[in-house]
Parts: sequence; C-alpha cells; structure tokens
Amino acid sequence: MRLRSRSGAEGGSRLFVAYAAASLVPVALLGAVLVNGYRDDAIRQAEEQGRSQAVVIAEMAVAPALEDADLTAGLTTAQRDRLQSATDFAIFHGSVVRMRLRSFTGQVVFSDDGSTVGGVPVADPAFTAAAVGSTDVAVVPDPERGPGEVIRVLEPVVPSASGRAIGVLELYLPYETIAAHLQRQMSVTYWRLGVGLVGLYLVLALISWSTTRSLRRYAARQEHEALHDALTGLPNRAAFRLRARTALETAPRRGAVVLVDLNHFKEVNDTLGHHAGDELLRVVADRLVGALRPEDTVTRLGGDEFGVILPGLGSEEVVTLLAGARARLTEEIVLDGIPLTIEASFGVALYPEHGAGVEELLQSADAAMYQGKRGTVNIVVYAGGGVAHSTQWLVVQAELRHALERDELVLHYQPKIRLADGEICGVEALVRWQHPVRGLLPPSEFLPAAEQSGLIEPLTAWVLNRALADQRDWLTAGRTWPVAVNVSARNLEVPGFAPFVAATVAGYGVPADMLMLEVTETALAGDAATATRTVIDLVGLGAGVAVDDFGVGYTSLSQLRNVPVSEIKIDQVFVRGITRNPQSEAIVRSVIELAHGLGCWVTAEGVETAEVRAWLEDAGCDAVQGTLLSAPLSWTDLIETTGRTGHELPAVPAGM
Amino acid sequence: MTAFRTALASAAVLLVAATTGCAGVKGEAGAGTAGDVAFDQGLHDALPQKVRDRGTIRLATDPSYPPMESYGTDGRSIIGFEPDLAAALGAVLGIKVEMVAADFDSSLDETAAGTYDGVLSAMTDTAEREKITDFVNYFAAGTSIVVQRGNAHGVTDLKDLCGRVVAVEKGTVQVDLLERSKRGCGTQPMTVRTYKTNSDALLQLRTGRAVAVLSDYPTAAHLTTDQRTRSHFQLASTVQYEPGLYGLAVARDDTALRDTLRDALDRLIRSGAYAELLERWGLSSGAVKASSVNAGGGED
Repeated sequence: MRLRSRSGAEGGSRLFVAYAAASLVPVALLGAVLVNGYRDDAIRQAEEQGRSQAVVIAEMAVAPALEDADLTAGLTTAQRDRLQSATDFAIFHGSVVRMRLRSFTGQVVFSDDGSTVGGVPVADPAFTAAAVGSTDVAVVPDPERGPGEVIRVLEPVVPSASGRAIGVLELYLPYETIAAHLQRQMSVTYWRLGVGLVGLYLVLALISWSTTRSLRRYAARQEHEALHDALTGLPNRAAFRLRARTALETAPRRGAVVLVDLNHFKEVNDTLGHHAGDELLRVVADRLVGALRPEDTVTRLGGDEFGVILPGLGSEEVVTLLAGARARLTEEIVLDGIPLTIEASFGVALYPEHGAGVEELLQSADAAMYQGKRGTVNIVVYAGGGVAHSTQWLVVQAELRHALERDELVLHYQPKIRLADGEICGVEALVRWQHPVRGLLPPSEFLPAAEQSGLIEPLTAWVLNRALADQRDWLTAGRTWPVAVNVSARNLEVPGFAPFVAATVAGYGVPADMLMLEVTETALAGDAATATRTVIDLVGLGAGVAVDDFGVGYTSLSQLRNVPVSEIKIDQVFVRGITRNPQSEAIVRSVIELAHGLGCWVTAEGVETAEVRAWLEDAGCDAVQGTLLSAPLSWTDLIETTGRTGHELPAVPAGM
Repeated sequence: MTAFRTALASAAVLLVAATTGCAGVKGEAGAGTAGDVAFDQGLHDALPQKVRDRGTIRLATDPSYPPMESYGTDGRSIIGFEPDLAAALGAVLGIKVEMVAADFDSSLDETAAGTYDGVLSAMTDTAEREKITDFVNYFAAGTSIVVQRGNAHGVTDLKDLCGRVVAVEKGTVQVDLLERSKRGCGTQPMTVRTYKTNSDALLQLRTGRAVAVLSDYPTAAHLTTDQRTRSHFQLASTVQYEPGLYGLAVARDDTALRDTLRDALDRLIRSGAYAELLERWGLSSGAVKASSVNAGGGED
C-alpha cells in the first residue's frame, strides 16, 4: 500500500505541475498584453503631451510673430526678430530642443541655430500630413545629441485668425523628463501588475493544488476500497495477490503464504447471528495482526478465510510464529455475552519451495490446510508430494468431471468374510476409473483430488447409485450381501446428505439395513458436529455406519461414544505385519476389545496371509477383508467365483 | 411571432433602402455640381478672347467669411458656397474658375486694374462700388450684429453700440452702416475699428476688445451655429439691417465677361443647380429668382 500511495502522490503532483504550467500560460499572456498596453499608453501619453505643448508654442510664440508672412518669400527682418525674441528663452532653457520653420516646399525659413539645412524630408509622411493640415507627433531618436529620444512635432503654421496655413513648424521637444516620469509611472505599474499577477497565479495554483489533493485523496480512497475488506479493514483478496506477488519478487525471496480458516465459524454465524459473526471476524483480524510481525501481511480472503504473508521466515520459524498467533486466537472471546473459544486451522506453503507463483502457493497452502482441518494439528506445513500435487489435481478434477459424465467409472467389490463361518457377510464397493489413456486407475489416483474439490459429492452420489443398483441385481440373483459405500468427510458435512441417501435407497427399493456407509476416522474428528448429526440421521434410516481406516487418524473416544457406529475397520497398517510386530498386536487386540466394548463389529483390513487370518480369528476379530480372500471384482465375477450357491469363497492363491 | 419578425425584417430592409436611397440622391447631387450643369459652347464662345486664351477666370476672395468662403482644414484650400458657385459657373462656361485669396478692401480696385477678372467675396452691390466695377447679382442678405455669448453689454440694436468699440472688416458695407449710425450717438461716440479680415474682427470680439462685430447675416448665423464658435458668439437680434444684393464684381469695361457670367448664372438658377448649392450650405433664404446686373446699386 505504501508503494501504491507513493505512486498515487506522484500522479497527483504531476497533475498539479500540469495545472500550474497550464495556468502559467494565460497569466503570462495576460501580463504581456497588459504591459504592452501600458507601454503603448505611456508613449501615446508622451505624444499627446508633446502635441499640446507644440500647439501652445505655435499659437503663443510662433504664429504672432508671423503675421502677414509669406514663407515662400522668406521672413522679413522684423518677423525674424519677433520670432527670435519669442522663442529664445524656450530654446535657451531647453524647453524646445530644436525648432524649424519651413515652407510647404520644405525650405527652412527659420531655425533656432540659424542653419538652413536638415529637417524632415518633404516626402516624409509626417511632413506631408502637416502640409495638409494635420499634426504629426512621434517619439524619435535624437538625431543630433547622441543617445536619447525627443518628441518630434510637425504641424501647420496658421498665423492668422482666418485659418490660413503658411508653412510647417518642425519642433523637437525634450523627452527625457517625460520619459523619466513615464518610467517611474511604468515601474509602479509593473510592480502592481507583477504583484497582481503573482497573486492571481498563486490563487490559481492554490485552487489546482487543492483540487489535485482532493482528487488524489479520492483516488487513494477508491484504491483503498478496491483493495480492502470493508468489515475488518484488512486488505482483500485482490490486495493479497498483489502483495504476495510483491513479496515473491522482493528480497529475501523466501517466506510463507499461510491460509487461516476458522473452525466452527459457520455455527457462530448460524446460532448467534451475522452480527456476532462479523464481530468475531473483526476480533480475529485484530488478534492476527497483533500476533504477527509488522512486516507481515494479514488479509481477509473472504468468509472466515484469512491469507497471511510472512516474508523472510523458514519453516520452523513460521510454525513458531503461527503457534503464537494461534494461542492469541484461541483466547476466549465474549460475543453477545457468550464466551467462545475459536479455533483456527493454518495451512502453510513456503516459498520458493512450494511454488513459484501466488496461485500455486495458495493451492499448496489450501492443500495443507485441508489436511489440517481434518486432523487435530492446526498448523500444517505443506508436505508436498504426489497426492497433493495441485496442478495434477486440477487435471484430474477436470478429467474426473468428464469421467462422471461419460460413465468411465466402474465399481469393484471386495468381500468381507465372517470369521465365525467363513461366509461373505458383505461387500465393499471400491471405485475404479477406466481412464481412456491411463487405463484402470485405483482410487488413490483420483479420490484425493475429488475430495479436495466439490467433485466428491457427485462422485459419492454416483457410487451410491451404482452400488445400490448392483445390490438390487445381486439380491435378485439370490445373494444377500450388504454393500458398503465409502463416504467422504465432505459428504457428511453437506446438509441434506442423509435425506439424499434415504431417497436413493428408497429409489432402488433395497432395504436400508443392507447399506453400510464407511466413514474415515478423520471425518468424525474435524467439524464433527455436522458429521455427527449426519451419522445419527443415517443410522436413523436403518443404514449402518462403519469407521474406516481406524487407528491411523484420530477419533476422540467421546466421539465414538456419541456416534452410533456399528462397525470398526482396523487399518491395514496394523494388520499387515501383525504376526511380527508386538506393538501392532497390542493395538489390534485393544481395538478389538474396545470395539466389542462399544458394541461394534470389528473388521480387519489388508489380510493377505492365512497366518494373519488365523491370528485375527484367535484375537476375536469378527470379519476380515483382503487379497487373501478376494481381490476386488465386478459383482458378476464375484458371483461366479463364489459359485452358484456357495457362500463360501474358494481358496485363493496367496499373493493375489 | 414569425409574422412579426418578418414584418420587422422587411421594415429594416425598407429603412436601409430609404437610407441608401437618400444617400444616393445626395451623392449624385454633390457630384452633379458639374455634372448637372451642362457645358454651353455658345457661352464659352462669348467669353472674351483673352480669358479663353488664358483658360482661367481668376476671382479675388477673402476666405474669412464662412459659409460663403473660408480656409479648409489644410489651411490652404478655399471652401464654401462661393467657391462651389464659381466651379459651377466654370462648368457651364467650360473654363476653370479660380478663387484667389486677396484683401477684401483692395480687391475692387485690383479688379478694375485688371489684376483679377473679378471679385466673388460676399460683396454687397452698392452704388458706391458700382462706380468702380459692375456687379452680377447672385444672392441677397442684410447685416447682423454679433456679440459675445451672454451679451453682457445688452446690445440689441445699433444704437446700443454708442460709447462702445465695434470691430468690422475693412471696406465692407458694414463700415458704411456704422459710420452712418455713429452720427446719432451724440455724447457717447462709437469707436469703429476696421480689420483686414472678418476673422481678425471676430478675434477682437472674442478677446473683449470690441463689444460687437457687424457682418452679413449668413456669416453671423453660421458663426452662432457652428459648434467650434457658437459657445463664444451669439446674434444680438434677429434683425437684418439694410438688406442688399451680393454681386460678382467685374471690371466695368469687361462687359462681355460680365454678361457671360450673368447668363451662366441664369443657366444655373434655371437648372436648379444654384438652389441645390444654396441648400447644401444652408443659405436658401438668400436665393435670388433671376440673375441681374447692378441691381443693388440701382435701388440704393
């Protein structure tokens, strides 16, 4: 954000500079026009002054001396004397710089210094104008006294009242004093003008500054709103991507991207209302920010999901830091007077190890979090590796979607053998994918990908439908095998799963007690409230629920007590090497005892040797499942191998 | 609304047409000083041989008598009713008529001596003057009294000038008039000062050295209406004293020129060009119905 706002400020100041420059142009133009106008006025004023001075001189000194004069014939001595006495003082004191009396033909009849040369050429427009009665005034360079200027006036000489002109008077009047006066006047004007224009410019600049500032603020606010979550004030998902990208490109180029998801948030929202949920999110946001370092970034990605960027940390440091954050989060929160403890899951992806791009890191973190959500370990660092390989998952997910549409999946069934009589007491439906390119794929190739996406729901629905359809067929064929269908934790969390199962069972007209739903241990451990309710509802339908892969995940014993589980299936990890591993023996024996204590049926998975089978029989296990007895087969094959009537399986060669 | 606007527009068009129409008429008349006046070969041939040889008729005038004649703004050309009349006469006669600035007082003698062909200078035809030259009569006017604006001395009649200084142009009929009225002043003698031009006389009035100037009515009226001078002068009364006829003076022995000029003038009067010129200078009240010779002196 800091980076952004600086660039915003730069944009703003650029705009301001542009405004300032643009307003400078008219101000300068105005200044130039005004100065020009004032200068013209000053010159005109000088000329006007010269003109009126010349009129006075002509009428008071020159004209009276020239009564009855005829300039073409020259002046009489009397006229000359009169003219001289009338103008001597003005010449002497410099009120007149130079004076010439000229006939219309241009002849100099009289001049102040007695010379008869010089003067304006007759062809000069100024002379011509004076010869036809108008007065010409101009400020011209002083032709005789070096630098400086004089006012030149050419006007007709009208020495009689009748208005008759007899010649042209050529007068040069001093300009220095007038010029100095004008200069003073002009400099005052310049100052005023300058101050005024600078003031005007400042006002314009101020206006543009304030305008650009509001624009800048508005833009910044817009940007903030675009990149921030309104509820918590944290950066939003878009901002998260930007910052993550920045973090990836900024030294030290290592750190972690963490996804944080609140457990039970939905329940808080549902039971206490959205207001409480919002409050909770705000508290969580504050606590997260408070628990992390200043250089860390906390964003809200949406819902109860937060994204955290922890730059510059290694795996262990990240976990330590997050442990602190988790401790802060789990502190009691009082919402609407109700004390709550909120738990959160942390999915950690380290960069650059777990991804080069933001998306990849997010997927890794998501995968890690998914693991964390199911287990009890709340801070899970992405482990990498095959199953969680996100990009491959994406491909698998996409293909699987098509597979469902094209019916590329098939169901194989593996029988469970009751140890008491060696008869088939049920079959487990195992999904296979007849991949057009990769051939027949085991569930481990695609189930995790499906689990991670919403695809697990249609997949489970497909399996359930197919299994029930097959069961209806084999029931018709005289085989009374219950069928077990694996159900994902996600299925249990989807509201309406139990009614869906009920409707499907009813649709195929098979008895509900012939259906067994196998649930992994971890499914019951996570957000167990919904799952537990679903299990209770399923049992209410008459279906049985089995805990699958027992022993590798985690199930709280209280869960086992609360959930009406009818069967526990011991994970093959314990079973496979049981005869050589005393620990496994102890565990299996205890589990059998525990299950029986809870009133559950116990099945051991992964039975591959007769030795193990014997041991299990000894230990009191109720049923076994494994390749020793039968590999998964299509149900028709299964019927054939079991013979026309036989419930007893034929001997199967070991290792198959 | 539209109809109104259309009406307005057409009214404007009409107005413009009327205006341009007037201007057109005036312009044609102005240019027609010579154009309207047809050249008459017979009259041209009737001119004396020496005039025809010279190609010009030179008429003396004193250009200090607007609107009859005065200097233009350039201080040199002479403008007024009489220069225009001279030009019109020249157009009829097919000869250039030149106005020459001269002393009013001496112009008659100069004409008799042959310096000028005649005098056209608002000169009243009197018996006295007819002794020197003949006159072709072309205008009628009397004398008015001009005083300073405000008339501080309360001059309303000639007798009010007794005991005062009166300025007047030398050689004019006004000098005679004043000399005659002076006799009735008794113990308060009137001082009559004469000046070379009417303008010089007015200068005396303007500067307070004289209380009145006597001049022909047209000039006096022009003086009190022209915007450059009306703030200084006014007429003492509306009375015109001793109305008489203006005459174009021609040497007594030059009857051919005199009669030709009279015929040419007659032509102008009959053609309407004369009336148009008077109109242009605001002098229509002084028009004569026909040209005549020495009619002023005969009546006197």
